Amino acid sequence: MARAFYPLERFAPTPPTFHLLPFRFTRLNGKELLVNEAGEFLFVPTGTVQSLADERLDTGSALYQDLKAKQFVYDDSSSPLLDILATKVRTKFDHMCGGTKLHIFVVTLRCEHSCEYCQVSRQTATRGEFDMSPATADRAIAMMMDSPASAVTLEFQGGEPLLAFDVIQYIIPRAKRQARERGKDLDIVVCTNLACVTDDILLYFRDEGVKVSTSLDGPAFLHNKNRPRPGHNSYEKAIEGIERSRAILGMENVAALMTTTAASLGHAAAIVDEYVRREFHSIFLRPISPYGFAVKTRHRTGYEMDRFLEFYKEGLAHILKVNHDGYRIAEVYTQILLTKILTPHSTRYVDMQSPAGEAWSVLVYNYDGDVYASDESRMLAEMRDWTFRLGNVHKDTRRSLFTGDPALQLFQASCNQALAGCSDCAFQPYCAADPVYHHATQGDMYGHRPTSGFCARNMEVITHLFSLIEENDRNTMRILWSWVTGKPLTKEVVACA
Amino acid sequence: MRLTTTGVARNFEQSIVGVLTTEHLPREKRTERILFFAAHEAIPAEDLSGYRGLLSHDELHGAPSLPYIHRLRESDHLKDGDIVVLEGNAGTVRSLYRPYEQHHHLFVTERCNSNCLMCSQPPKDRDDVEALTERNLELIRLIAAPPPYLTITGGEPTLLGDHLFTLIAQLKASMPDTELHMLTNGRTFAWPDYARRFAALEHPNISLGIPLYSDFAGDHDFVVQAKGAFDQTVAGFHQAARNGIRVEVRVVLHKLTIPRLTKLVEYIYRNLTFAEHIALMGLEYTGYTPRNIDALWIDPYDYQDELEEAVEYLAVRNMNVSIYNHQLCVLRPALWSYARKSISDWKMLYLPECERCSALPACGGLFQWAVKKHSEHIHAIASLPPDAAQKCS
Amino acid sequence: MDQSGSITTPDAHCMAVEINRSIVSDEALLKTCYWFSREFVCEIRNRNDQIADVLLTSRNAASVADLASTKDAFMTSAMDFALREKIEARTSGIRDLLLAKAFSESGVLEDEPQGVFGDAVEEAKSESMFKILGNPRS
Repeated sequence: MARAFYPLERFAPTPPTFHLLPFRFTRLNGKELLVNEAGEFLFVPTGTVQSLADERLDTGSALYQDLKAKQFVYDDSSSPLLDILATKVRTKFDHMCGGTKLHIFVVTLRCEHSCEYCQVSRQTATRGEFDMSPATADRAIAMMMDSPASAVTLEFQGGEPLLAFDVIQYIIPRAKRQARERGKDLDIVVCTNLACVTDDILLYFRDEGVKVSTSLDGPAFLHNKNRPRPGHNSYEKAIEGIERSRAILGMENVAALMTTTAASLGHAAAIVDEYVRREFHSIFLRPISPYGFAVKTRHRTGYEMDRFLEFYKEGLAHILKVNHDGYRIAEVYTQILLTKILTPHSTRYVDMQSPAGEAWSVLVYNYDGDVYASDESRMLAEMRDWTFRLGNVHKDTRRSLFTGDPALQLFQASCNQALAGCSDCAFQPYCAADPVYHHATQGDMYGHRPTSGFCARNMEVITHLFSLIEENDRNTMRILWSWVTGKPLTKEVVACA
Repeated sequence: MRLTTTGVARNFEQSIVGVLTTEHLPREKRTERILFFAAHEAIPAEDLSGYRGLLSHDELHGAPSLPYIHRLRESDHLKDGDIVVLEGNAGTVRSLYRPYEQHHHLFVTERCNSNCLMCSQPPKDRDDVEALTERNLELIRLIAAPPPYLTITGGEPTLLGDHLFTLIAQLKASMPDTELHMLTNGRTFAWPDYARRFAALEHPNISLGIPLYSDFAGDHDFVVQAKGAFDQTVAGFHQAARNGIRVEVRVVLHKLTIPRLTKLVEYIYRNLTFAEHIALMGLEYTGYTPRNIDALWIDPYDYQDELEEAVEYLAVRNMNVSIYNHQLCVLRPALWSYARKSISDWKMLYLPECERCSALPACGGLFQWAVKKHSEHIHAIASLPPDAAQKCS
Repeated sequence: MDQSGSITTPDAHCMAVEINRSIVSDEALLKTCYWFSREFVCEIRNRNDQIADVLLTSRNAASVADLASTKDAFMTSAMDFALREKIEARTSGIRDLLLAKAFSESGVLEDEPQGVFGDAVEEAKSESMFKILGNPRS
């Protein structure tokens, strides 16, 4: 016996009323932008929020259907599917799973450069007592492996870590053995200016599967200006180091980061072109951090956040053009934010997380065994501010580090859901909290949003990216997506007929 | 190619499943076999005992005591090695499995708790589960060389309850390397216990193909003609994924699904991110479809904008997407690399104009019933550009 | 919902805005002033239960033209914060539930599947695998 068919109205009746699911909003480009708890967004006509708040939106409209499908509203004709939404919210916090994944080992404070913005004590190359001792290294390795994460990254920093190459050689086999014993994956990176790298060091890194991250601020005039060195040849040494490293380690195992200073501003395109010339496929337009010597030397390196934002936009526009012309290079800050905006996932980049990545996602083990919540926390200590020193590897366990007062105070200010200004902000799921930054720049971990450089930067950049998203230029979006997925641009199949 | 035929049946107590043999075998090799006589074949005079049954195109004289069906309407589709079921009540001969084919199906029930407007296998509310399970267990046993792929289909397979678990366990035991794909509306998986029990089977090679027709609940429910289906299906997707069961999303493209197609793929990307594949499928002019054709029909040529946008949306986000049941002449060339030869051998044909088409080897053809209704734009492609060869799957 | 604000400029760098307290709550007003405090010193005086007076004094020299657009921006912002309060009031309960579900152990706070099962044959059986799903036919 055949069954009957029923019309649309039986399954999609126009509901008399509807209910709101949680969301935040802002005004952008003459429209309203709605963002829900899972970071899903929708551009709607101005006035929509008012009609939602007054519960008088037309439930028979196409707009209503979109709002319902994206879980901004629900009605009694079907389930709100709250568990699905909860799963999406949880996914946005998956960076927390496993605890601390990035472990920075400051193996020495010695360095032969004297970069103006450097947050590290300038020590001459001869002092040996600023190196990490074997006993400290052993304790730090154990602390790293106590993290619940199934995969950890060990990052060597300094000063200049290669000046303490013997310490690196001490740590690597021990870390690897413990990783095997504890069933964890281990990635190892060395952050170095490459000025004193040798082929022997590189061969050792190759054999141990170690990656190198170095600095390249831009063309020669800029790089040398930023990084004074006896001989005034920082750029030449950097390029030489990059080429040697690539020859032995392979292109994919050598990365470069730039630092923006006042001198960089106005040269965005030139910096990008340098990265292209050197065949890098990613560049990170990050602002100078306000810590350590940067604060002391602000009159030389300081600049308004506005000028950085101009620099970023110019840089991004040029990078998009370079991509459009056929060379693949991603801008990392953009990639991080777009991952949070356009995908269901969160970011692993510790500086853009909420709860803040400090301590949760990253720990810094100083040469003397002191443990800090982040690189910047350690730099504050150089200026005799130990607010974010969590403990010491010789006295503490992971538990006592995380339950001590410095950590607990930090955590209280770590969730942007609960910070003044952030709690109402439409960009909350895309932004982050940074108690260390706010403590350093404003004297208050919680921060004052209207005068916060962190807020100004992120808000402006996120707004800029939403303009691009709304414009929806096909070529631009394809390029941006190739950065997010890490895959080359999907080739457009040439017309066959 | 034909799946069923009928004749006159004698001596049946119950249905018989067996493997066809055109060669008269020695006694010890007959136990699973049905001896088949094609048209005008001479029937051996000797003792035919030991076979499960006999099948003859022509009249069988001599009143054998074995169960047999003779005077078949057609039989040229029957080949040596085919696994068939002989049904005594109506004299039906159904081909269940042909070893030489690429696509194999295990048909498990005609029951379904949805009633899709375009269903190609309209459901019947008759409890056939016991009988079909018994038949299918025997079929599985008789398959000599495990195929690389096997599709479990119906109706709605989850309505089998424990019998489905029995079937899958049997498949796991006898052909663990065969990749199983189960077509289901996914609704039963909304119940966490069910999803857990299914996952506990621990079949190493199984995935679910679950249809979703809109991001808007009311539209999906209308297409599948079941209130609350959208909610259950989406919950089912999640419970399956949570239990480690691989899932694929299927979308049939017609007038009711095309308008929100881009929004649907966005919904899939944000809510069903774990889907390992999305299949965008052409409409089959069979089953319920002719009855509802006015509500459903849109010439595929006319939705190429929406299709291209949807495919690009997913591809750019690194989701696996395929286009099924579309002819290359109707698809934009940019989409050719996503088109698959998805139409089962026995359902497929080419039209007369296809014979001259230079893309014929790469094209998946049409459904047999498409002779009654197909795109107005089917045409032979005169010549392919040089790089088309690797672009066309 | 008309916000009648008037610009009375005691001098070129400040501006007074009248806020209807029955539309914009004290909290919404505080939040608005919080954001404007980067450029302005904000003083709030509750004239009575209905009206609050806000005096905005520019921290750097701002022209009268700037001040006019600032008044618009302030009003819009205040209305938006009032809207946010309204939305929050309607959604805080379900938000708490949502976050509790998001961060609870899998399965602990989950809803039962909704809707009917929809198979006539199964629903007719007294004992079936799906007896937990025994919803009446719609």
